[in-house]
Amino acid sequence: MAERAGHRGYIGARPLNGSRTPQHVQNIVIRDYARRKNLQFLLSAVEHIMPGSYMVLEDILDELPRLNGMILYSIFMLPPDEARRREIYDRVLREGCDLHAAVEEITLSSPKDIQAVEDILLVNQYATIL
Amino acid sequence: MTDTDFLQADEQALAQRFIDNGFVTTPADDRAGLDRIQRRAAELAADYLKLPHSNDPYAMLDSIHTRVSVDDLNGLRLHVFNGLNAEAWFRPTYFRLARSTIETIVGNELCMQRRVNLSIQMPGDDSSLLATHSDVWSGDSPFEVVVWVPLVDVHHTKAMYLLPPSLNGEMQDKMADLRSAEELYKTIKPHATFIEIPYGHVMLFNQTLMHGNRVNEEPGTRWSMNCRFKSIMSPYADKRFGEFFEPILLRPATRVGMQYKLPGGFHG
Repeated sequence: MAERAGHRGYIGARPLNGSRTPQHVQNIVIRDYARRKNLQFLLSAVEHIMPGSYMVLEDILDELPRLNGMILYSIFMLPPDEARRREIYDRVLREGCDLHAAVEEITLSSPKDIQAVEDILLVNQYATIL
Repeated sequence: MTDTDFLQADEQALAQRFIDNGFVTTPADDRAGLDRIQRRAAELAADYLKLPHSNDPYAMLDSIHTRVSVDDLNGLRLHVFNGLNAEAWFRPTYFRLARSTIETIVGNELCMQRRVNLSIQMPGDDSSLLATHSDVWSGDSPFEVVVWVPLVDVHHTKAMYLLPPSLNGEMQDKMADLRSAEELYKTIKPHATFIEIPYGHVMLFNQTLMHGNRVNEEPGTRWSMNCRFKSIMSPYADKRFGEFFEPILLRPATRVGMQYKLPGGFHG
C-alpha cells in the first residue's frame, strides 16, 4: 500500500455566514494552522462557487486513502444536511484520517469529537447575531 | 475587408476561431522575451538543484525529471515561481508574448493577474494533476481569459485538454447528476482534446470551458505558465480587483472619467 502523506487543504469560492474571504487569505489561515499543529499541508482544493455543489469535497474524500486527513478553512463549509455530514465524518474516520477546521481550530479524530462539531453547526443555525 | 467593417479581416478570423474552438494558438509576439523567460526559469531550477547553469535551457527543463524527485518537485516549483515573479521585467514580458491576441480577444484596457502561475508535470507523476474543471466554478469571472505559455514543446498528455464549446453546455448540464470531478472527466473524456503547442507559441483560451490535465505519459517534463487577463471594467467574480488583479493598461479617458465630478452646490 502506498504511504500516506499530508493533509489536503479545502477552501471555497462561496461566502460563509454572509462573509467573503479571498482564497489566498483562506490559504494563509490554513497554512498557519498546519504549521502550528505540525501538519504537512498539501495544496488546497477549491470548492465550486455553485450553490449546493460539493463535488470538490467528494474528490478529497476519494483521495483520503493516500492522505493523513484534510484541513477545511472553516467548519461551516460542510454541507447543510446533517445526514450527509455524518457520512463524511464516518468516511474520514473509517479511512484512518482526521478532519481539521482552521478558523475554529477544530480537530475531528475520533467519534467522540463529532457531537461537539454538530453542536457548533446547530447553534449557528439558530443563534442570532447582534 | 470592406469599409463597413470595424474589425480587420485577420482580427475577425482570430475572433471567430476563439468563439468556435474555445482557444487560439499563435507564435509569441515577443520571441526574445519568451526565450529570456525560459532561460531564467532554467537558471532558477539549476540554482535550486545546486547545478551549474546550462547552455541549453530547453533540455534542462525538459529533462528535469532526471534530476528531481516527486517529493522535492513543489519546492523546485515554488523556487522558480517566486524567482520569476520577483523579476521586474517578468510580467510585462509575459504580457508582450500575447499582446496582439489579448487585445483582439479581450480589449486594450486590461488588468492582469498579480502573479503568473507555473506548472511542472513530470512523466508518470500524478501528484500535480488538475481535475476537470472550469475556472469560473472556482470564482473566476466568465469575462477572463487565460494566456497559457509552455516553456517546452507540449502535446498529448504532456499538454492540457479542453472541451470544445459545442459540447461544454451539454456536459455542464449533466454535472448535478455526477458525484465527483473524476466522474465528470470520464463523461467528457471521449470529447476532450489535448492541445499541441510547440515552444515559441502561446495559447489564449476560454476558461469557462472544462479543462484539466492527466498523468504525463510523454518522455519529457511539461513546464507551462498561465495568467489571467480581463477588461478592467468587465464584471468581476470572486477574484477581485486589487487582491487578485491589478491594472496594466488603464487609459487616460477612463482615469478622467473616474475622477470627474459634476459641479454641485445647487440649491434649486
